[in-house]
Amino acid sequence: MADFKPLHPLGNLDELVEKHSFFGPGSAAITIGVRKSVECAQLFAGNGNQAKIAKKLNFDSSTGKATETKGFTALPIAPGQWILISKNSAPGFADGVAKSINGLGYLSQQSDSRICLRVSGPKARELMSRGCRLDLHESHSGAGFCAQTVMAQIGVILHQLDDNPTYELYLYAGFARSFFHWLSHSAAQFGCDIEIISNQIKR
Amino acid sequence: MHRIDCPWCGTRDEAEFQYQGDATATRPAPDAAEADFFDYVYSRDNPKGWHIEWWHHVGGCRQWVKVVRNTMTHEIHATGGPQSKLSVPKPSGSRLR
Repeated sequence: MADFKPLHPLGNLDELVEKHSFFGPGSAAITIGVRKSVECAQLFAGNGNQAKIAKKLNFDSSTGKATETKGFTALPIAPGQWILISKNSAPGFADGVAKSINGLGYLSQQSDSRICLRVSGPKARELMSRGCRLDLHESHSGAGFCAQTVMAQIGVILHQLDDNPTYELYLYAGFARSFFHWLSHSAAQFGCDIEIISNQIKR
Repeated sequence: MHRIDCPWCGTRDEAEFQYQGDATATRPAPDAAEADFFDYVYSRDNPKGWHIEWWHHVGGCRQWVKVVRNTMTHEIHATGGPQSKLSVPKPSGSRLR
């Protein structure tokens, strides 16, 4: 048997960092962090169960805002639909959530379907504003802001982590290389470094 | 450029939406004549002025949005979900219908 090893959709991350990084820690105007993997699941509330599910899992069912719970971040993407991102990337995360919703909705494991890129640095807001049509001005979108939109003609879920601001972008793995190509080129005008983010999320 | 008020996401740019045509076309009864079905599928007015139409928020929440839009001025009068009953604004004496 061949010895299979999981490969990140962006390929060899060490090579990626070497190829795209020129500035050194903390000195680039944009830092693109590539999460090694994302443990996530998509949750659909059954008819009329939206509020019940939100109560059960302890998150806010309002739109346009991510909610942090102990084990995951819930990103609202449509009425009665959320992407749940595990905080500690524990395997079996979806099984645990599925047990607790107990028939109120549907959960599908999505961990291998998406990648996560974290955009930070003093020019992060400018870069993101040029890339999408959302209103990212600080008066409109603060920490926790979350929206599904289109960047470079590719669907992304944008989540603003803090007021610095730092953004996380979730997109389908199949678009990873194409999107990264656009993102790294767009960031190059400001000066950009790439870093690898281990699976444990520090917030 | 339109800014369309999605009932679920809030105001978003036109680039996130796909135009899906006339929202007033209604499906004929199953036993209706073939000509009625032909009209339902293919025949569309090309109004100058107010028009009730579907926009699919394909880059956002993937919901269908009903929009009352003026095809002359691109003004958007109202938006709503698929079930909402929207009507075109009454003429206010301007030369636009």
